[in-house]
Amino acid sequence: MNKEVIIELKNVWKTYKMGAVEVHALRGLTLKVHKGEFLAIMGPSGSGKSTAMNMVGCLDVPTKGSIYLSGKDISHMRESRLAQIRGKKVGFIFQTFNLLNTLTAKENIKLPMTFQDIASEEREKKAEQLLEMVELGDRMDHKPTEMSGGQQQRVAIARSLSNDPEVILADEPTGNLDSKTGERVLDFLKRLHKEEGKTIVMVTHDRRVAEQAQRTEYLKDGIIVKNLRR
Amino acid sequence: MNSDLIIHSAKSLFTRRTRSSLTILSILIGIMAIFTLISFGMGLSKYVTEISADMGVDKLVIQPKTMGAMPIPEKQLSQDDVDFIANVKGIKDVTGLMIQSAKIQPDEDTKPKYFFLMGFTTETEEMEIVLELMTVDLDSGRMLKKGDKLKVVLGYNYQLPNKIFEKSVRVGEKILLNDIQVEVVGFFESVGNPQDDSNIYMTYEGVEELLGEEQGYEWVMARVEPGEDPQALSEKVFDKLRKFKDQEKGKEDFFVQTFQEQIEMFTNIMQVLNAVLVLIALISVFVSGINIMNTMYTSVLERTKDIGIMKAIGAKNSDILIIFVTEAGVLGLIGGIAGVLVGYGISSLAGFAVGQAGYTFLKPAFPLVLIIGSLLFATITGAGAGLAPAIQASKQKPVDSLRYE
Repeated sequence: MNKEVIIELKNVWKTYKMGAVEVHALRGLTLKVHKGEFLAIMGPSGSGKSTAMNMVGCLDVPTKGSIYLSGKDISHMRESRLAQIRGKKVGFIFQTFNLLNTLTAKENIKLPMTFQDIASEEREKKAEQLLEMVELGDRMDHKPTEMSGGQQQRVAIARSLSNDPEVILADEPTGNLDSKTGERVLDFLKRLHKEEGKTIVMVTHDRRVAEQAQRTEYLKDGIIVKNLRR
Repeated sequence: MNSDLIIHSAKSLFTRRTRSSLTILSILIGIMAIFTLISFGMGLSKYVTEISADMGVDKLVIQPKTMGAMPIPEKQLSQDDVDFIANVKGIKDVTGLMIQSAKIQPDEDTKPKYFFLMGFTTETEEMEIVLELMTVDLDSGRMLKKGDKLKVVLGYNYQLPNKIFEKSVRVGEKILLNDIQVEVVGFFESVGNPQDDSNIYMTYEGVEELLGEEQGYEWVMARVEPGEDPQALSEKVFDKLRKFKDQEKGKEDFFVQTFQEQIEMFTNIMQVLNAVLVLIALISVFVSGINIMNTMYTSVLERTKDIGIMKAIGAKNSDILIIFVTEAGVLGLIGGIAGVLVGYGISSLAGFAVGQAGYTFLKPAFPLVLIIGSLLFATITGAGAGLAPAIQASKQKPVDSLRYE
């Protein structure tokens, strides 16, 4: 396996204030993700896996500790800078797909490129290419509401790839899908990993889904309790 | 700035059609009101500029002071006054205008009406001053001439049937003026307001024949010599006439104005009135601004999750800001376009209606600057009102927004 570390969390704490009570979602989490790796993070609900995922995806900054993305410390960056980094380096896939319902499939895929100021013709071409790749070439101008869950998630996969990111973060990508459609989505993820060499970090609570990954880290109470390599 | 973002903004307005249209309606009303009022204000300015040019700026007007608010003079100006003014250095020609009221009827069986009877000179040079100030020429028939006594020239409206009298009056017809038979010799062109277009004109001799000798003047008009400063001359005339009439300073029973001042006085009153109305209309635009703000706050709240998604896929705070400000600006612009269109319709209709009522000088004007200005104003109001909600949207934390359902 390639040993280059692409994401590194060092002693990361995340504390939320719920009224007078402090809730520690992460308690000194340390984690390394290597380039080209397929990593699953598992844990029961409330274990902090979503928080960890947000940290890795630059959606949130830690209360304490450091996060390095490609060797760069992002834990103290300003929101706009973070937005730029995640737009370019990270692609998100969510459990609830999170497509914009007012836009068509193609427009949804073009949007991340819009935020990166990519030229219009290029956006158009890339979006069509990606839709073909997820086998939705015939659904380009459909709105998310006119598509099945599996189709929506494939649009989301295509969207996550639009800026050609190094890392794909998938938060329960099959959680809202039946097992058959879920498998298909997982197949796409595996293909991305194998054929495109993408680094994939996937959060799941489903053991069978996690088995698809090369490595699984188990999270409990905001800290890694065990890991498993395949 | 990306054109896609603008298109997305416009699209999202379309998905919330009802709310967007109501907001647009509120802007429409405000912009329409402002557009309509300003178009009349501008029309008035244009009219004043035109008549100023027509009447020339070389004239002075000397009038007796009136009692209180009534247009009844304390003491008319006399022929002696007029002769004295004529001798002031710098004055070229002077003429007085008698203004009385008279009973007019086409024949004994018709119910009489009361209008202004104007007596004026038959001297060519002096008559020119009067005609220039009235900005009209003869429409038909002939002008009054020396020796005319029981002859009248009438205002334009007498020619129209069902305007002043049921039957239109013609040149050559005999009518009754204060129960005395007079002959109509001509008609003036339309001045553009129903009062002046109902005037009755006679020679001095005619008025005196009708109302008795020694009629004074309500209006004395003078033309200054070319190259003379009317303003300086008006002060000089005022001073000299005061001494001639042996009146104490500050207790004069007359006043002198350049014609320019008279027009300005009239216009100022109209413009102030117009400005007050525009201010009131501005309040409605302000209210529509609040309406836009409210709409946008709701929109931001509704799309909290979308904002989170957009941030997750790389939208910078500035991108989100632009999206929402654009959306508000587009709301304003659409309202502005509709407001200008409806305002144009209303102004044209209102202009036509007051024209029908005889006030043809009250015509709206639609210069390009008014149209573009209105659209810009609407857009800026929209974008400005959308700024605070947009800032709120842009500052949302992506994690929190994503969790929002």
